[in-house]
Amino acid sequence: MSQETIWERLQRIDRRVIYWLLFILLIIPFIRPLGLPVSIGPQTISLLEGLRKLKEGDVVVVNISSGVSAWPECLPSLVAVSKVLIQQKAKIIYWTSFVDGHMTFEKIVEKVPGFKGLKYGVDYVHLGFYTGAEPTVAQLATNIRAIFTTDYKGTPIDQLPIMRGVNSAKDVKMVISSDTGDYGDYYIRQWRIPYGVPFAEIGIAMIFSSYQPYWPEIIFGMTGGAKGGAELEKLIGEPGDATVTMDAINTSHLLVIVAVILANIGYAATRRRR
Amino acid sequence: MAEVVRREAVYALTAIIVVIMMVDFFFTIPAISAIAGELRTWATIISTMALTLGAVNIIRVHSRNVRRRAPGVWYHSAWLIFIFAFVLLLGFTDINNPSSNPVYKWIFDNAYVSLGQTWYAITGFYIASAAYRAFRARNIDAALLLIAGIFVMLMNAPIGEVIWVQIPRIGRWFNDVGQVPAMRTFLIVAAFGLLAFGFRTLLGRERGFYGEVAGG
Amino acid sequence: MGYPTTIDGILGIWTALALMLFVYSYPLYKENQLFRFAEHFFIGLSLAIAAIIAIQTTIRLAITPLMAGKFYYIIPILLGFMMYFILHRDYRWISRYPIAILVGSSIGLGMRGTIIPNILSQIISTITPPKAGADALSWFNFVYIGIGTILAVMYFLLTFEHKGPLLYPTRLGRWIIMIGLGAYYGNTVLFRMAMLSGRAQFLLQVLGLVPF
Repeated sequence: MSQETIWERLQRIDRRVIYWLLFILLIIPFIRPLGLPVSIGPQTISLLEGLRKLKEGDVVVVNISSGVSAWPECLPSLVAVSKVLIQQKAKIIYWTSFVDGHMTFEKIVEKVPGFKGLKYGVDYVHLGFYTGAEPTVAQLATNIRAIFTTDYKGTPIDQLPIMRGVNSAKDVKMVISSDTGDYGDYYIRQWRIPYGVPFAEIGIAMIFSSYQPYWPEIIFGMTGGAKGGAELEKLIGEPGDATVTMDAINTSHLLVIVAVILANIGYAATRRRR
Repeated sequence: MAEVVRREAVYALTAIIVVIMMVDFFFTIPAISAIAGELRTWATIISTMALTLGAVNIIRVHSRNVRRRAPGVWYHSAWLIFIFAFVLLLGFTDINNPSSNPVYKWIFDNAYVSLGQTWYAITGFYIASAAYRAFRARNIDAALLLIAGIFVMLMNAPIGEVIWVQIPRIGRWFNDVGQVPAMRTFLIVAAFGLLAFGFRTLLGRERGFYGEVAGG
Repeated sequence: MGYPTTIDGILGIWTALALMLFVYSYPLYKENQLFRFAEHFFIGLSLAIAAIIAIQTTIRLAITPLMAGKFYYIIPILLGFMMYFILHRDYRWISRYPIAILVGSSIGLGMRGTIIPNILSQIISTITPPKAGADALSWFNFVYIGIGTILAVMYFLLTFEHKGPLLYPTRLGRWIIMIGLGAYYGNTVLFRMAMLSGRAQFLLQVLGLVPF
């Protein structure tokens, strides 16, 4: 029996070695940041340009269809977008299709200093949780009060000054959706197309791939995951959580690429040997 | 008669609702719009009430494990049921604002958030090992997938630009242009699939979602 | 948010860290009882939270209007309860009625909404050439997306066998799809790593090595 080559041994490496290596490589950049600059994509630029067109008092809906579990990916963009919306003096209505969405809303308020100067129920509000996928999103477009009778704290919607005169998609100037799933599609089909409400997507990185064919004709702008969040943070000049995350992305991505290259060299070497 | 109530009437109801939703979109008939709006609200109520269906089913399964003292499993099942009942009870102290209960809020903030993020992130390990074990350029198809994947990864990581200044440009091309035909095809094909599925439902030939065998 | 100073705050972050390590003991070590403990904890907790929010939303959405005089709301409430017959083999057929409403409205809305953004708009975007004065790369991209989309769609033509005149176009179509899936994979890696880096950061935060 011929002796095993190093490539063959590498092919059989215990997967836990890779797991430990990955975890250690993710830790290092937090202790010793690399601080490399992030390149900015045109989708993020057009998102900011679209947001900057908003005028004082314009009503914007921010749909939170990502849970607390996706915070590292989705929260930075939600925070950065909220900062811009406050700068534009827009009225912000948050609502969520995730049972833990109120925590995301509270985290956004905690992380955006601009909310301190604003009044809840007047300048911004969180209407709470909804479910029911496309039928609910369609009903929200025609009659918000059919789905939300109170905000997430139980205050009747008609007692909230921000909701005065806001009944349907016709009263909303823009929808921004943070997704890990299909809700962006529902807003495109039930808000963007029938009512022409400008729509932007700030979901996870894979959503960025799926929604690329919609940009810029149907979606006026988008960010993809932590990278998109870091791009937006750079554009508005306020580095945040995503900028920090991007350092760890460097080392982890390098590991994955080196793993792919080594595996392929090993594969080629062992195939030739056979 | 039983067959009519159990099957035919259900297919007819589905078809009628599909038609109402379509008519509401293409024509302005106030009566139809009102019915469509009410049906959408009903669908929302049904979906909301169905959210606990999963909980009921899982608790049923785990109760069975406890009753039968399933070896190596029953105490975990008992733990699951205890946590479910305990947190549910905490939530009921103020159903309109469960977070007002400090114990509920503590569990939510520290256990739920941490476990949620941890579980969602665990696939990071698997994708790294999958990259090592399965991502092989065995043929042209796999090689193309690999090349596009590596360039997009290097574009996403700022270090790509340090390795070679052109990497972000190439990666950006794959991300903004290279993948568009495939993603666009998926959209078009899925849209035609949805239309075909819809027409089959309208005709009562698509029955999988009722718990029946599709086709016919 | 700084490092917690209260007892419940400190206990909270250390509990969160312990639960995280219990879960990661599975990939980093092997399956064990602590992992199973955390797994069942999460399932029980998630179900309870979902149930609480569902009950809260049902009260807000259906019970309150019913009490306020919208008596016909009894119908969707009954339909909601009918869903639970899905768990009973003999009476499962009863659950088909609420399912009919869910499926009928979803399909109706999906069908009417999908044509413009997913078919017409995609075709228009594909055949719209770059503006006058566009550079060579823009024209190359236009041709690539146009031909690429046609080839990739051909790959999904399953009515005919992929041979004869369809052999090479569908093979090229498959390559186009592979490029798309490669880019998608690249973004998937970004997503997974960003998530995992969040956990690595949390570990260091709890240990006091990086600020909260």
